[in-house]
Amino acid sequence: MNTIRTFFVLLFLSSISFAQSSQVSGTVVSQVDGFPIPGVSVIIKGESRGTVTDFDGNFTIDNLQLPSTLVFSYVGFITQEILVSSDEAISVQLVEDVAKLDEVVVVGYGTQKKKEVTGAVSVVSSETIETLKPARIEQALQGQVAGVNITSSSGAPGAALDIRIRGVSTNGDNRPLILLDGAVIEDLSVVSPGDIENITVLKDATAGIYGVRAANGVILITTKSGRKEMPLQGEFDFYTGFQETTREIPLLNATEYALLRNEALAANGQSPFYTNVSGLGQGTDWQDEVFETAPITNYNLNLRGGTEKSTYALGVSYFNQDGIVGGDKSNFNRYTSRLNLGTELFEDFNVKGLITFTHQNRRTISEGGLGSVLFNALNIDPTITPRQADGSFSRALNYPIEVINPLAQIANTFNNTEVNKLNGVLGANYTFLNNFKATANYQWNYSEVIGKGFFPVVDFGNPGANTVFDRLDFATVNESNQYFRDYTFDAFLNYDNTFNDVHKVSATFGTSIFKTTGDFYGRTGENVQAQGLADAEVDNAVTILDNFQNLDNRIFDTRLLSYFGRIQYDFKERYLFSALVRRDGSSIFGPENKFGIFYAFSAGWIISDEEFFNSDGAINFLKIRGSGGKIGNDRIPAFRFVSLIDGEGTYVFDDELFFGNATGAIANPEIKWEEQNTYDGGVEANFFNNKLRITSDYFYRETEDLLLPVQTSLVTGANAPGSGVPIVNAGSVKNEGIEFQIKYREDISDSFSFDAGFNVTWLDNEVLEVNNGLGFEQDAFFGIGQPEPIARMQVGQPLGVFYGYQTDGIFQTQAEVDAHASQSDLGADAQPGDLRYVDQNGDGEINLEDRTFVGDPIPDATFGLNINFNFKAFDFQSYFFASLGNDIVRNYDRNDPITNKTIYALDRWTGPGSTNENPRVTTGATTNNVFSDYYVEDGSFIRAQNIQLGYSLPENVLEKIRLTRARFYVSVNNLFTLTEYRGYDPAASSGAPLGAGIDGGFYPNPRTFLIGTNLKF
Amino acid sequence: MKRRIYHIVVCTVLLTTLSCSDDFVDVDSLNPASDNFFNTEEDYQQALIGAYDLLQTTYLNVMLGEIASDNTLAGGESATDVIGIQQIDDMIHTPSNAQLRDIWGWMFSGINRANFILEFQDKIDFAGKNEVLAQARFLRAYYYFELVKFFGDVPLVVDERVLFGDQFEVDRNPSAEVYAQIEEDLQFAADNLPVTQIQAGRITKGAALALLGKVFLYQDKFSEAIVPLENVINSGAYSLIDDYSTMFENDNENNAESVFEIQYTDKEGAGFDCLQCSEGNIAVGFNGIRNYQGPEFDSGFSFNVPTQDAFDAFEAGDVRRNEAILDIEQWADSTGATFSTGYEHTGYFNRKYIARKGDLGTGDANLTNPNNYRSIRYADVLLMAAEALNRSGQDDPKALVYVNQVRTRAGLDEISSTGASLTDAIYQERRVELVGEGHRFFDLVRTGRASTEIPGFQAGKHELFPIPQIEIELAGNRWEQNPGY
Repeated sequence: MNTIRTFFVLLFLSSISFAQSSQVSGTVVSQVDGFPIPGVSVIIKGESRGTVTDFDGNFTIDNLQLPSTLVFSYVGFITQEILVSSDEAISVQLVEDVAKLDEVVVVGYGTQKKKEVTGAVSVVSSETIETLKPARIEQALQGQVAGVNITSSSGAPGAALDIRIRGVSTNGDNRPLILLDGAVIEDLSVVSPGDIENITVLKDATAGIYGVRAANGVILITTKSGRKEMPLQGEFDFYTGFQETTREIPLLNATEYALLRNEALAANGQSPFYTNVSGLGQGTDWQDEVFETAPITNYNLNLRGGTEKSTYALGVSYFNQDGIVGGDKSNFNRYTSRLNLGTELFEDFNVKGLITFTHQNRRTISEGGLGSVLFNALNIDPTITPRQADGSFSRALNYPIEVINPLAQIANTFNNTEVNKLNGVLGANYTFLNNFKATANYQWNYSEVIGKGFFPVVDFGNPGANTVFDRLDFATVNESNQYFRDYTFDAFLNYDNTFNDVHKVSATFGTSIFKTTGDFYGRTGENVQAQGLADAEVDNAVTILDNFQNLDNRIFDTRLLSYFGRIQYDFKERYLFSALVRRDGSSIFGPENKFGIFYAFSAGWIISDEEFFNSDGAINFLKIRGSGGKIGNDRIPAFRFVSLIDGEGTYVFDDELFFGNATGAIANPEIKWEEQNTYDGGVEANFFNNKLRITSDYFYRETEDLLLPVQTSLVTGANAPGSGVPIVNAGSVKNEGIEFQIKYREDISDSFSFDAGFNVTWLDNEVLEVNNGLGFEQDAFFGIGQPEPIARMQVGQPLGVFYGYQTDGIFQTQAEVDAHASQSDLGADAQPGDLRYVDQNGDGEINLEDRTFVGDPIPDATFGLNINFNFKAFDFQSYFFASLGNDIVRNYDRNDPITNKTIYALDRWTGPGSTNENPRVTTGATTNNVFSDYYVEDGSFIRAQNIQLGYSLPENVLEKIRLTRARFYVSVNNLFTLTEYRGYDPAASSGAPLGAGIDGGFYPNPRTFLIGTNLKF
Repeated sequence: MKRRIYHIVVCTVLLTTLSCSDDFVDVDSLNPASDNFFNTEEDYQQALIGAYDLLQTTYLNVMLGEIASDNTLAGGESATDVIGIQQIDDMIHTPSNAQLRDIWGWMFSGINRANFILEFQDKIDFAGKNEVLAQARFLRAYYYFELVKFFGDVPLVVDERVLFGDQFEVDRNPSAEVYAQIEEDLQFAADNLPVTQIQAGRITKGAALALLGKVFLYQDKFSEAIVPLENVINSGAYSLIDDYSTMFENDNENNAESVFEIQYTDKEGAGFDCLQCSEGNIAVGFNGIRNYQGPEFDSGFSFNVPTQDAFDAFEAGDVRRNEAILDIEQWADSTGATFSTGYEHTGYFNRKYIARKGDLGTGDANLTNPNNYRSIRYADVLLMAAEALNRSGQDDPKALVYVNQVRTRAGLDEISSTGASLTDAIYQERRVELVGEGHRFFDLVRTGRASTEIPGFQAGKHELFPIPQIEIELAGNRWEQNPGY
């Protein structure tokens, strides 16, 4: 601390004297059209002093020592330096920056010119977001940024998407750190995509400036702000359209279903259920009944500008989306309003303030697995009509299985989650002594999540025990209130200087503290008289239960304290070096392991700036770079290092519940940081007058001391109520891959331009170590009542590999059955027509020991492609995404003799030689439903994510209506998907690393048809 | 000057934050650390409730005690419905049986919770502390008794918890050592507990004595068994209730015949993701009639279905038969009820513990049946005392008195046999009196009759269930598997 103090004292002592000087003025215009450019930054080189051009592109600088160099910079143009040796007015022509080398990139507590970046950093601009019009921001990253993969576990409105940067590294939490204007954000649904200026993705060790939370990558989102001297600019975006399902799974019709059901009974020696199938016809197409065409609408208005001293931006938006299943019972809507102000309070002292309010509502239906609406639609008897003669929903009478009328299910679903979120940033920076800039930012979030669910008395009609959906006793209402508060306070000092014109040094050091707290309240009211959400109140219920008996479940408080420093040095702007270090302390860990040190180094060489290099030739720009470092992860629940009285201990005396105490999850005092050693080597090259740009990276990430919840000896009591397995630093996972990105742009004529981009990521994921005594962890179940989970984390295999039996065709004859290993250990003796499983260990019996690896949910490669044309006033844009080599498990069939089936049941085995693919049907016991490769499919796909055609009004018309731009477009999202997968959506995946690629009947991502307009003024 | 002020402001801000202390990340949990608990009597009482909690998970032990025996079949929906239960029924269970691992873990959870209290038994003093400790020791004994019944030699940990890491150090102790600890615990419990408790469901002196007698019986220590069992009988605190048909109804819980009863309720919901969290009797939903619609009963999953052999084991005129075993065809004929047949349908259901109408039906209704499990009934005590008197060779006439009390209540004639034939008669009486209550498999094993009565039972192997293989591995691969597995 003393050294820091001395440093500042020295700073005070240094004094500055001003020499004789002149006033210089001039005009800045665009080289392209000669129009003046307002808002251009004009800085005196070597000083931080400067100004910006006014509305007419004019500027004036006082007290300029002559000679001096002025630096002119403006977004989208190449920065120009001009030596001023007299006080004559100067005229500057800025050249458009095709290669975007001077584009400024946010790299964490500072910015850097893209050209000089030595890490693997990708930027998604507001133009891309504007084009893609994602309902959610994550979608703008899919296929845009190499190495970033987005999966959705649901296509329902408002459903979260999972972002994975350069693979999955843990069985635990793989989410990247996301910062919205510096504030930590977990749920991106609260942000309107229209408010975003750009998204920066830090993919390698240079993300280590964020230390312990950087192991899964860092995403920095910057919202739109104004610029000084910028005239008022407005943007209004509007689109509306409708959505529909991309696919209906072909199912048996009523007649086929009835015949098959009879056949299954006959195979088991039972009499037919349908004595006459002739009148059944097609029956009900339940998918037609539940899928609907649903509306989607978005409005976004942004205004921004700036005066000599101040900037401002404000935005309002409204978004509303109904679901393609459940309509307005599956709805998401959001209002946002945002105000962003900045001003130079005193000379060189700037303050900024940002406040965003978001209000959203979400309603959901049951989705994604057994008992969900789509699962019911796929499995219910097609001979049942949706409604009875009196108009009421048909009941699943005579259907003694937990499958119900999905329409009745939707109609009896009542829930709503409301989120009110306030996000603010208060910041100040002060530039002093020419080279120093001190910044302090306070970013905070407050949100309240108000949930309510009403469960009416309902009898779906299933006879007997299968009443899991029924509420025969009384209606229940749930209310929950969750309050989240967090703040991040950053204070840091940047130092920039150039010595002898060739040694450029930037240094950053600072501190960051982060605190997040929350408290939850929830009550359940049993036996309430109500018709729906509106009149269902817990207070009116006969019995009221508190859902948060346990304090630690009700309140949390997690903190982080960090110091960081970074030095960047470049020599002649050619040889680039950077080193950073961060010390993090996290409340997540115990006293011995609270603090960790993380670091990274990187270097780059801009070969094309060498004298020997002719950058006017075919290659205009060439840079190689490399980085390496150690970054961390602390994303585990709090207090897992200490045994707490937070378990569940409830017993009954005198017929009343008594709530006692017990210890909770098994504590492991030794848990410490998860560490990732990560390396990256990259090359960036531009060819042919910067028309062709290539970026390619090789990366290697090895995560050690993975924080895993591991199976543990139950002698510890880990399966007691309210307990749980410990978290242990127990594994190691490697992700290795290559990213390649190529972009091409050609302005063929004044009226025709073309650009295309293609990127590919090859990824190899392998588990290196699982130290829990077993050598593997497992999770995620298949079907119903099967003994073992099917997804594994096991040494030598990719994370989430599927583990089951390998099939070897169908037994055609009894002789074949007799000749094969006995399958009776799986629950029934095999018969002709059953799946034959491979006896892996050759012991003559098929049992759990014969399971093997039968699929891998992680794609070998993912691709993104976009092709755009502009022809006169028309523009055409297309974005494609492809995933190759990912396997998917078909788990949306109930696999019960009396449920409906997909049409491949028509190709079942019916006798020797009939087929070697699909097993027979029978109501008798079979082992065909155990998890095997029969249920694993190739989930590779190519998807047209967005295709659109736009028309912009010509300038002469625009002038009359006082607009600078007016574009109208039609757009289709998710137009088609080429895949062999038989389920709804091969892109579907549960977010969990163990369980990825298991399709329990996902709510498909809709195909969306939009018409819209962008207006700028 | 102004500039200087800015410098000072900025630097002060920076320096203040830079010196932000490392204590910022020391956050205390709102819940007490378990090492810091037991500061009030209330803490002990609360932890005791936590130790009682695991009694409710013994529903599975009870089901398997029947299904493994010749009394019932696994049943369920299909041959693969809860495959671990199916395999135990067929005596083809392996060390990878999920249900056995549940039992292993749940019993050790209960032991850990009891040991948690006992680890801190000396921390503070308060009136009535011994009664708390006595209940904790009874519970530890109850859970350990279940473990030795199922697995034989098991790690014995006394008055301390097994913390994470300790699993690599604990060894399997010989069952004799475990039994010795159980006896000591139960004796302490019997010495420190009252004959009657104010709250129904609390452990009493009688419960401790009856369990102690049972524990002796399981070790063939017949003479030792007589004393505690006769203490229960002579206490006058219990009696056989007249009407056997009311015994298992929800309005007759904690009745005069109930020596120890595990308490369940339907006042809290439950789900399949945490069966051990349920406050209801899960066995009752599992045993229930498949897809039943009709009077008196509710539906269930048709597990644990009595065999014809069990039905036929009753003598003519035994009032217990139709109360213990529901002939569903006959019932359906007489009441118009409907049902469907599950796997291994025998036409019979375990009437003592199948779902009944009249409960709240809290979701998932199959997991929240409120029927208490009558763990030790006075009839059981009488039959155990009779067995101890007979097999110790001490007093057949007295044994006959006890057996005949049970027979008379069942509407049967008194018997007068002695010696080995009395032993057989007692065994027979135990079967029909206690059918459906989870005792049969262990009675057959301890009396050496399992291999003749249970199809597929291999002597020398199936007396014990296998230690879950995964538990052997997770404890460092140091324990030997039980013989034959």
